[in-house]
Amino acid sequence: MLRDKSCVDGILVCGEIRQNKIHSVTKELLGKAREIAGKMATRVTCLLICGQLDDMPEELFCFGAERVIVASHDKLEYFNQEITAKILSYVVEKYLPEVILAPATTSGRTYLPSVAAMLHTGLTADCTSLDIEDGSGLLLQTRPAIGGNVMATIKTPNHVPQMATVRPKTFRMPEKHVDGNGEIIFLDIPPSLLESRIEVIGKEYASETVSNVQDKDVIVSGGKGLRKAENFNMLHELAELLGGGVGASRPTVEAKWIGYPHQIGLSGRVVSPKCYFAIGISGAIQHLAGMQTAQKIIAINKDPEAPIFQIADVALCGDFKDIVPVLINRIRREVI
Amino acid sequence: MRIAVLIKQVPDSDEIKMDPDKGTMIREGSGNIVNPLDLNALQAALDVKKKCGADISVISMGPKQADIALREALALGADNAYLVSDRFFAGADSWATALALAVTIIKTGPYDIILAGEKATDGETGQVGPEIAAMLDIPCATYVSFMDIDDMFVTVKRTVEDGIETQRLYLPALITVLSDINDPAMPTLSGKKRARRSDISVISAADIDLSSEEVGLAGSPTRVVKIEHPKITRHTEFYCGKDIEHGIEHVMKVLKELAIL
Amino acid sequence: MTAKFDFARVTQTTVRDLVEIFGPSGVSVDREKVTAYSKDEVALHLWDKEYTADVVCFAENTEQISDLMRYANDKKIPVTPRGAGTGLSGGAVPAFCGIELSLERMNKILEFDMENLTITVEPGVVTAEINKAAADHGLLYAGDPCSGDASFIGGNVAENAGGNKVVKYGPTGNHVLGMEVVLPDGSVTWFGGKRRKDVTGYDFVHLMVGSEGTLGIVTKIILRLLPSSSFVVDLLVPFADVKSAIKAVPAIMTEGKSIPSSIEFIDKQSMLLTEEYLRTKFPFSNEADAHLILQYEGNERERLADEIEKIGDICLKQGALEVFVADNRTVKDKLWKGRKSVAEAVWAHAPIQVSNEDVVIPASAVADFMRELDDICHGAGVKYAAYGHLGDGNMHVTLYLEGETPGWREIIGDVRQKLYTIVIKLEGTLTGEHGVGLKRAAYISQFLDDAQIDLIRRVKLAFDPNNILNPGKIVPWE
Repeated sequence: MLRDKSCVDGILVCGEIRQNKIHSVTKELLGKAREIAGKMATRVTCLLICGQLDDMPEELFCFGAERVIVASHDKLEYFNQEITAKILSYVVEKYLPEVILAPATTSGRTYLPSVAAMLHTGLTADCTSLDIEDGSGLLLQTRPAIGGNVMATIKTPNHVPQMATVRPKTFRMPEKHVDGNGEIIFLDIPPSLLESRIEVIGKEYASETVSNVQDKDVIVSGGKGLRKAENFNMLHELAELLGGGVGASRPTVEAKWIGYPHQIGLSGRVVSPKCYFAIGISGAIQHLAGMQTAQKIIAINKDPEAPIFQIADVALCGDFKDIVPVLINRIRREVI
Repeated sequence: MRIAVLIKQVPDSDEIKMDPDKGTMIREGSGNIVNPLDLNALQAALDVKKKCGADISVISMGPKQADIALREALALGADNAYLVSDRFFAGADSWATALALAVTIIKTGPYDIILAGEKATDGETGQVGPEIAAMLDIPCATYVSFMDIDDMFVTVKRTVEDGIETQRLYLPALITVLSDINDPAMPTLSGKKRARRSDISVISAADIDLSSEEVGLAGSPTRVVKIEHPKITRHTEFYCGKDIEHGIEHVMKVLKELAIL
Repeated sequence: MTAKFDFARVTQTTVRDLVEIFGPSGVSVDREKVTAYSKDEVALHLWDKEYTADVVCFAENTEQISDLMRYANDKKIPVTPRGAGTGLSGGAVPAFCGIELSLERMNKILEFDMENLTITVEPGVVTAEINKAAADHGLLYAGDPCSGDASFIGGNVAENAGGNKVVKYGPTGNHVLGMEVVLPDGSVTWFGGKRRKDVTGYDFVHLMVGSEGTLGIVTKIILRLLPSSSFVVDLLVPFADVKSAIKAVPAIMTEGKSIPSSIEFIDKQSMLLTEEYLRTKFPFSNEADAHLILQYEGNERERLADEIEKIGDICLKQGALEVFVADNRTVKDKLWKGRKSVAEAVWAHAPIQVSNEDVVIPASAVADFMRELDDICHGAGVKYAAYGHLGDGNMHVTLYLEGETPGWREIIGDVRQKLYTIVIKLEGTLTGEHGVGLKRAAYISQFLDDAQIDLIRRVKLAFDPNNILNPGKIVPWE
């Protein structure tokens, strides 16, 4: 939609619901929305599109939402991108937000583009920082480009809403306020929105170790340097010990040593955990782009010249087969 | 069955070199390749063709030299190729790109299914596919790692964060695929020969009745306001040989500081 | 000629003296480390005893090596030089204990000379880095061993490593113009230089190349570079049977009127094991008994494409089941990853109960060789995987037994001997690029006559009168 000052109101945060629970990225986005709402002198609304909801939506008031819209229907037990997009479009037309922030998850990265196309507005994927431009009050959306080698700042000058997706763990979880309160709206969903050309047949949930590397505080990743598939076992052991997930470089996924959901990098998942172990990963640009925002990077590699060492906090130069078991034992001593 | 496959020519990310001072990409010397996931999309189309017969059109938006990418697709077994290329398309964001491709799809269609890679390795927004689907008003499934087509439906498995979803979409539909959907085949000599001798239709903005205001930078809702070159600021502690023991203690310290242990 | 193996032992004093030369961080007696540095990629169980050095030293410059050799020569302590440890003949295994000398810290590219088209490197530079550095300058370093991602150039020179581009460019020795060498007595000299011609004295450069670290320690190497081609295309060509694959090669060369830079051969068993190892699929892996990989280079895209069409048609005429064309990075990577992983794949499948051979047969006799190989293996119930550089008749044959077979050493040893007999009959030789080293020294007398073996010993002692540098290699001494 072309911008029309009279009909835009506030920031809308799209919540992420997984297995009937509010996912933490929702709160991370609310924290950021709160911050920029201050600069825009506007309010923050959170939209939850879900089947059942086990969590209390009121909880979100403590994280920066002033209003929560709950669009809940049995048909949404599993994610349906078509219905979700239609509901979001409907909410936008009804409440006219100026800015929409959404999680850059597999679902957010699916229905947000649909909505941007339907509403004819801009959408910036995978933003790593958001701000408000002085004067214009426009949303400044910064994202990595060319494999993370440059940061591009983008704005949407003439269209509304201004839309951006953000990966989990990009922004810090805000402090929880005890006295949060606000308005809850249970959306009356017009039946036409629930019609879909997509039938969701079912969902197999992944085991805990496989699922969701993006959500982990620790990621233990392996590369070609592991030499063979079996050596990933050692990484699984280390990851499990630290309550983390296992990641992998593209060549190992291409060699089918490990499944695609584990792939970190430009053509896989982009992560920013607290701690990232890169084991036997030389550090191709394509991989670095997927993990260089981790708080701490620990690299283990035989080659002292491996590019991964240039971005590591701790560089252990040697054969992973010598180092990883020692590390595992050392940690085991600590946790037991 | 008629299938459209959207492909993009991208710089070979294994060969990207950066100018460390300017923060710009050094284009010379680095080759271009077909976006790897788009080859998976094409292979998915070829698998359908093998199973039940299909006419496959590949469509790419890009400069003239992107015809190499289209010829590669033809060599692999695509039947027709369209290069959406016009100086007016320059500077398009994902919305404007999606519009030009959506209109091309209408003009060259109709298609029963449209396939694309989940994202391209250069822009990696993953937005163009779902945006096209919305513009064409057809259902769309992303992150697809398995696909099966019968007359009216396509059944897909979507690999998402916490598992695998199975969905059935009414055709026509748009599907974006992941690399584990298949193993792209290698082009054959006869395919190469045919591709070399094929004509590639070049489609301009005028050919699809779009004005210069509707496409490229002019038709893009977003604007790049600045490009910065971030400097990585990490102080690397390097441990080697006998020092590895100290290195492991350092790792322990880090894990404790981060409250992981 | 009498052998000289009366060496001194390494004592605490020796280690102190070595620390004087290399500094404390340049000497290790840590058992684990010394053991690790005493191996190459020949499986340990194939040795008749355990060979472990007493101490490992890490040289950083020529002076240290010169000091070391003067010292060792004086004290009569054996010194075994070592590169990346990717050798396949036990060349870096310390047959008489003593000092293992690692060259891994001498890993700098010293000079790029764009006028003379040379690159000067230290011996510990990884080969693939030289390939890459040359490519970054628009040039080609044509050495391309399959181990190139790991092996050092020093080791390539010592073994005269071959690899995938030998058919057009020759083995490593063809690219070596000069070298700085520390002789066993500690003196430092230069053989050759940046010159393309040189008959001033003997051609010591090419005596050193392939001498397996027995004559001197190479400390700097000047390599020849070539202009690189703008376009490279690889063909993967499956054939129903081995014979038609091999017989196609002369036709490809003569009718094709151009020399491919690679003609590689992979038999069915090698292909299937590689698929299993990489968990990927190659076309026609089940239908074809043999795959060829051909590589062509050119500077004009269209002309190269014409040439490829012609070559491809010749292959089809020769009975190829299909011709696959790899002209972009994605497909080429897959193809060459496959080829370069064959050795590891076979090793992963058959880590023990094996014999890894590196024989060379005149190109015209490869088909006969493969037929006889099949016969003897079949007769003895031994499996084999064969692959290699068909263009130069260099076949890597792994003989192996699956399951636990009592007496496997004898069974495999017997087949190996039969294999050697065939190779000799076909006027082939023992090793093409892996080297004799320790592993094959006992067999060399089947391939070389007494006069030549005696000459090898005399040359060795002319360089190294005390026989302290990498003793016990290439020819039997006792």
